[in-house]
Amino acid sequence: MSEVIPKLFRINTGSCNGCDVEFVATAFVDKFQLETLGVELVNDVKDANLLVITGPLTARSESFLKNTLTKLKKPFVVVGIGTCSVSCGIFRDSYAINGPIDKFVEVDVNVAGCPPRPQSIAEGIAKGIKVLEQKMNGEATPKAIDTIFKDFSAPDSFRGRMSLNEENCTACRTCEIVCPSNAIEISSTGDGWFVHKIWHNSCCFCGNCAYFCPTGAIFSTNSFDTAKLQSEKFSDVNVGYIDYKKCSSCGDRYMPPSKGLLSKAYTHDDVTKLNEKICPKCRKEANFKRMYA
Amino acid sequence: MKIEEFNNAIKSKISSGYELKEDKDSYGNASAWIILSNKRDSESVAKAVKAYKGRCIVATAYKNIDGTHTVIYHFDIEGLIINLQLETEDQSIFSITPILPSANWAEREIREMYGVEPIGHPDKDRLFLDYSLAKGVLNEYISLSKMQLGVSETDVLWENVNKEVKQ
Amino acid sequence: MKEKITIGPFHPELEESVYFKLVADENRTVTHVEIINGFIHRGMESLVTQKNFMQNLILTERVCSLCSNNHPFAYALAVEKISGVKVPPRAEALRVIADEVKRVASDLFNLAMLTHLAHHHELMKDTMDAREHMQDLKEIIWGNRMDMSANQLTGVKYDLNEEKIKLILETIALVEPKVNALQDRYENDESIRAKTIGVGVLPYEDALELGVTGPVARGSGINNDVRVVAPYSLYGELKPKVTLRDGCDVHSRAMARFGDIVEAIRMIKEVVANLPEGDTYVEKRPHIPAGEAVVRVEAPRGELIYYLKTDGSQKPVRMKWKVPTFTNWEALKVMILGDKVDNVTMILNSIDPCISCTER
Repeated sequence: MSEVIPKLFRINTGSCNGCDVEFVATAFVDKFQLETLGVELVNDVKDANLLVITGPLTARSESFLKNTLTKLKKPFVVVGIGTCSVSCGIFRDSYAINGPIDKFVEVDVNVAGCPPRPQSIAEGIAKGIKVLEQKMNGEATPKAIDTIFKDFSAPDSFRGRMSLNEENCTACRTCEIVCPSNAIEISSTGDGWFVHKIWHNSCCFCGNCAYFCPTGAIFSTNSFDTAKLQSEKFSDVNVGYIDYKKCSSCGDRYMPPSKGLLSKAYTHDDVTKLNEKICPKCRKEANFKRMYA
Repeated sequence: MKIEEFNNAIKSKISSGYELKEDKDSYGNASAWIILSNKRDSESVAKAVKAYKGRCIVATAYKNIDGTHTVIYHFDIEGLIINLQLETEDQSIFSITPILPSANWAEREIREMYGVEPIGHPDKDRLFLDYSLAKGVLNEYISLSKMQLGVSETDVLWENVNKEVKQ
Repeated sequence: MKEKITIGPFHPELEESVYFKLVADENRTVTHVEIINGFIHRGMESLVTQKNFMQNLILTERVCSLCSNNHPFAYALAVEKISGVKVPPRAEALRVIADEVKRVASDLFNLAMLTHLAHHHELMKDTMDAREHMQDLKEIIWGNRMDMSANQLTGVKYDLNEEKIKLILETIALVEPKVNALQDRYENDESIRAKTIGVGVLPYEDALELGVTGPVARGSGINNDVRVVAPYSLYGELKPKVTLRDGCDVHSRAMARFGDIVEAIRMIKEVVANLPEGDTYVEKRPHIPAGEAVVRVEAPRGELIYYLKTDGSQKPVRMKWKVPTFTNWEALKVMILGDKVDNVTMILNSIDPCISCTER
């Protein structure tokens, strides 16, 4: 085992500077402990073996990035910081964007976030160093690396990885429409199910979906565990299954309203119960009977 | 600065007529809209702005359905915004940068984003748009990858995600 | 003997990518300067017309993370002007609080970078530490250290309760003495003075002609603070005091920023103490008719203007914005020419360049 000294060089390929500012905080504020990783910040890319790349790779950056990459000596690792470096995030499908960066360089670790917390950045760099050690010692990269900084915790109000409460979701697609970075997709399986997917590597953690969700089904957790290996890029997804129900009165299949909506519409518990398991058509009849029969 | 005063200053200088509109925001800040019938008169307005030690904040452009372009200069004189609107049918305007250097970048941007040439602008170089992209990008509305390949980057990436998700 | 020097586009001392081509004489004085832009151009003015009004609340925030609150703020003002919406008084107050908190953090970051470039490590750490209090506050109240997501199209998304108000006041009580002490050190520290006074000079006349704004203008004795010349939101009542300096150099611009920070702290305290009761927004998803609007706000770096044109559909027809650095940038050439090569990154930092804002 040879000792590895990680030598870090940062490249901004067109980020909004959030990740770069947070990188400075990570590097220069003591509480984030980047120093404990033994990282050395180098002034010349020629001396680097740990490349940190931010941004979605703009058209003008492309040739400069390619040129910079030729100066690196193997082995080296690449850590992409910020959602837009992983999937171009909110900037995807613009005429000026040529990324994501993994089209042009083999990326080892991705850190989603907009911007990621300094601890996520430190975690990404720590994982990068692990991969670098393995590369230097000629070992194969494992499928996953355990979280290195386990004792950090973000405040409860932190907008971290999004999650879904399937019980309350009615697949109304509001979240899909208000999501600015196409991180949410709802698809129908054709046999009575909806699949609700949140792809964390496209998410910009803005909380728009949670804010506009009419039933409170989608919500942000305070988890900032977003530093993942490249092999996990497309599988880092929150999946929810929402099913059609069978109407207990007529037997038709229907999408039930969420409990949250029902309790807003009907204030008495027994009425809510009456409406819970029947389709819209039967609900109309039942409530007409309840009031006028 | 009062709108009336500025209007008096330009009245006799504009040869082809114009429309003046006044506007006020909910906080009581007034602003003026000057809509020119002839784009040539932009130089006279710029000279008046210069005389009052005003500056060009920025300029906006957009393409109309009939293919013509509208260009709006936004000037500031002592906190008053003056919007100068003009139309062009041949993708050209008369540069006001020689009069107001603060209009320099704004006009270069209109050139590369809409292909509207500011005639007489001292700088010919591109500003932000990479040479790998044709000028006039904002005249089109479809994303580049969708136009070239028929699928967008979003479609491609989500296909990869969906391979990993149990349907 | 002439020497050609290039800096960038990827350089440890540059937060964002930009490419300088300089020519210097034998005393390392810059005799020619060429700046190549466009590395951060993401085609955002095209993107905003492809996304709906709700998505654009966030996309405008991602223009730049340092003034990330000003963009949705100005965008919301433009939408409100077109829809004829007047936001509730509580929302106005909450907008000002978010904006001024952001201003303190943004200005402190720029000052920290100044000391970093001046190799004054101790002062840099202290500045970053003072800023960290604001970062923690942002994360606890708004949920993210950079992008607050505070604004809504007819108000704000967040609210303050007793506990959060207490936290703001406690944080301010911690930050205020630190800022005062830092201000004193930046003003009087010998090594900082040596590296910033008389460096990157932008004379008053040039500043006026180039139309610079924000602390760059204030450092050259010009006051065009939008909060004063065309007050919006609560600024008509708050009457921010503007710090003008006449040194026209890097030091003057830094001290103008300190003036802004001190005023921001005063205003946060004042607004929090007099927070009006009531709603925080008018409508969650308002109808936006056809129309056009021009609005302005004062970002930490200066004047930010938004033009919005709508046609009654769910997406803007055209949206254009001009950020302070857009006009401050040409002033760099005046500042750098005739100065030393070694001062170039320091001068660049003194306009607090926000390249992602400028190039969009």
